Amino acid sequence: MIKLFAVIERDIKKFRRNPVVVMMSLLMPIVYLIILGNSFQGKLKDLPFAVVDNDSGVYSGRLIDNLRAVEAGAKTFSLIFLTDQKAAVDGVRDGIYKAALIIPPDYTKRVKLKKQAEAGLFLDNTDTVSAANIRALVKSATGSIREEYVPIREKPGDSYIREIDLYSMVDYYQTLVPGVVIMSIFLGTMTAGVFNLVMDRFLGIDESYLLSPLSKTEIVSGLVISGLIITTIIAVFVFIASMLITGIPLTSGIEQGFSIFIIIVLTTLALLSLMFVILGRAGHPRIVGIFSGFLNVIFFFPSGAIYPIESFPGWLRAFAKINPEAYAVHALKSVLFKGAGLGVILSDLIFLIIFTNVMMVIAILTFKRNM
Amino acid sequence: MQKPNAIEVSGLTKKFGDLTAVDNVSFNVSSDEFFGFLGPNGAGKTTLIRMLTTLLKPTSGRAVVSCCDVSEEPKKVRERIGVVPQAMTSDLDLTGFENMDLYGRFYSIPNRERKEKIKYLLDLVGLTARQNDLVATFSGGMRRRLEIARVLVHSPSILFLDEPTIGLDPQSRRVVWDFLEKFRKEDSMAIFLSTHYMEEAEALCDRVAIIDNGKIIALDSPNVLKSQLPGNDIISLTISDDSRLEEIQNAINSISFVHKVKPDGQTLRVYVDNGALNLTALLERVKEAGGVVTSVSIHELSLEDVFIHYTGKSIREEEAKKVNFFIGAGIPQKLGR
Ligand SMILES: Nc1ncnc2c1ncn2[C@@H]1O[C@H](COP(=O)(O)OP(=O)(O)O)[C@@H](O)[C@H]1O
Ligand SMILES: [Mg+2]
Repeated sequence: MIKLFAVIERDIKKFRRNPVVVMMSLLMPIVYLIILGNSFQGKLKDLPFAVVDNDSGVYSGRLIDNLRAVEAGAKTFSLIFLTDQKAAVDGVRDGIYKAALIIPPDYTKRVKLKKQAEAGLFLDNTDTVSAANIRALVKSATGSIREEYVPIREKPGDSYIREIDLYSMVDYYQTLVPGVVIMSIFLGTMTAGVFNLVMDRFLGIDESYLLSPLSKTEIVSGLVISGLIITTIIAVFVFIASMLITGIPLTSGIEQGFSIFIIIVLTTLALLSLMFVILGRAGHPRIVGIFSGFLNVIFFFPSGAIYPIESFPGWLRAFAKINPEAYAVHALKSVLFKGAGLGVILSDLIFLIIFTNVMMVIAILTFKRNM
Repeated sequence: MQKPNAIEVSGLTKKFGDLTAVDNVSFNVSSDEFFGFLGPNGAGKTTLIRMLTTLLKPTSGRAVVSCCDVSEEPKKVRERIGVVPQAMTSDLDLTGFENMDLYGRFYSIPNRERKEKIKYLLDLVGLTARQNDLVATFSGGMRRRLEIARVLVHSPSILFLDEPTIGLDPQSRRVVWDFLEKFRKEDSMAIFLSTHYMEEAEALCDRVAIIDNGKIIALDSPNVLKSQLPGNDIISLTISDDSRLEEIQNAINSISFVHKVKPDGQTLRVYVDNGALNLTALLERVKEAGGVVTSVSIHELSLEDVFIHYTGKSIREEEAKKVNFFIGAGIPQKLGR
């Protein structure tokens, strides 16, 4: 035991003595939160939207008034009135407008006759988020004159409708918190744990450890435990900071906080042991650098932290089934947003425990005790 | 009863693919001996030490270190030995004291005893005043002394030193030598040192094995090794006109105090008795044979001459050729992995 403590103490001392590393580990996830919160799903503003009114009747006027209301209120788009239908459609194609609405000459007449009234909506489907927003807004504008429009020339399947009104800016921020906490755990496991081993190996310092009576298990678990302590502290700090930034209340106090702590600890262990399996034999810190970018994408995006797992194709869903970050995100979301207790997230926790144990066994078995 | 040997090696061999780094080596080291392994870079010194200290598995052969066979009971061996590897292994982010303390804890030495031992050793290597500074601020010589002190914390019965003064300036080298000598007088243990500096082997070791291309080519005390060479001094003569070299060689070969003449380019290496006394007579004879001497040097026989005698090349020349390897002390092995 005394040997194990020695290894742990050493790593923590070394970590503390690298203030830049400590600061980066704390700040990076928070900066991620701020960037993600503002770049992904901030409200869309001033999308250029061409309108060609060939009707100039009562109902086309009402439709345009509804659009003007959006333009004046939420400012999602700014309307550009054209007379040339072809110019409008070409403009969408050339990327000058995000969308073009063509109101046919018989629009008002058809509405009055209670026939199917059709207006054409041309959308720039390459920008799915903007297209979906405009579509939803136009839909509600036509809805309020009680008539359907039929979008034409839109390739089905290229876009999807997002019920944008459900999310306000702040809510979206909050939904990112589990992902940001997981991100901080991932970064922690990259700068602690196996990284120390690879660095020591690169510097040739590891030879003195291999020459000591430390066993494989002591070397590996010492590094994992010190990594656990360091990463947990980082993740808890990042969690508290993101709570303060986004204003999520801990509704059930201590119990909720405890559940989150348990999730952080188990996720950290799962990732630390996984890194040992993947990087345990790397000889150069550059390899860790290359892998960290790669692994971050591989584990983070399919974790459901940003898009729900339900939206993934089958193969990616299968991967999410063995991705520890997916379990961590699910558990954190349940506790944070649904107020779930430990019982509800038990299956997530059990997965993380089994995963850690399997990885630790592989890590110790494959660890090379000689040169 | 005679004490058991500290190290017993028989037929030890290590191959890396086609390359035989250590070739069928056998020797014993007694329990209080200072044993030296002398050879140029790439001779196989590090590879041998790594096998003896459980870091590398031998391809064949056997090595018993301290108590046990290195392949069968590596953990027991590790507990009884102290090893200073060729590359610097002290942790830059820790202080001198922390480096030693950490090491002592790996050997489960109780707190009080550990602290006392560290204090004693830091004093011995003259680092007491700097013990609370980060190793990153140490000079190469200080770092080396710390590393030697560090592996003594658990009182090993054998100390392995792989080129302990490589890369140190002459003054730091001398400090390390003095410390090893002093330490040796106070504690009795076997010391196994590898080096490519003949002065180092000569100054410190009871017995020296000279190794080249993985093979031991001579093994004895420095004095015995030197006494096996003819004469006791070498006079090197550089002749301006090398067309007369053979004639001159024959002329001086017949002198009674000359034992042997070896040409080396334009230089003649003349093995003589009492060089200082006989120099004038030798130069006289060269002149008679029609030679013009452009430079002369006399030196006492050294292990360098022993190496030249057995291999026909000098360690220094070998070093010059391998200078690129030398700079990366320990690194070539790493790349090979
Ligand atoms: N891991 C390795 N893989 C391949 N070749 C190696 C390895 N380690 C050492 N060698 C080679 O074995 C020979 C002996 O090396 P080494 O024991 O380091 O010599 P020394 O310590 O005497 O300088 C050299 O030719 C070296 O290149
Ligand atoms: Mg070497």
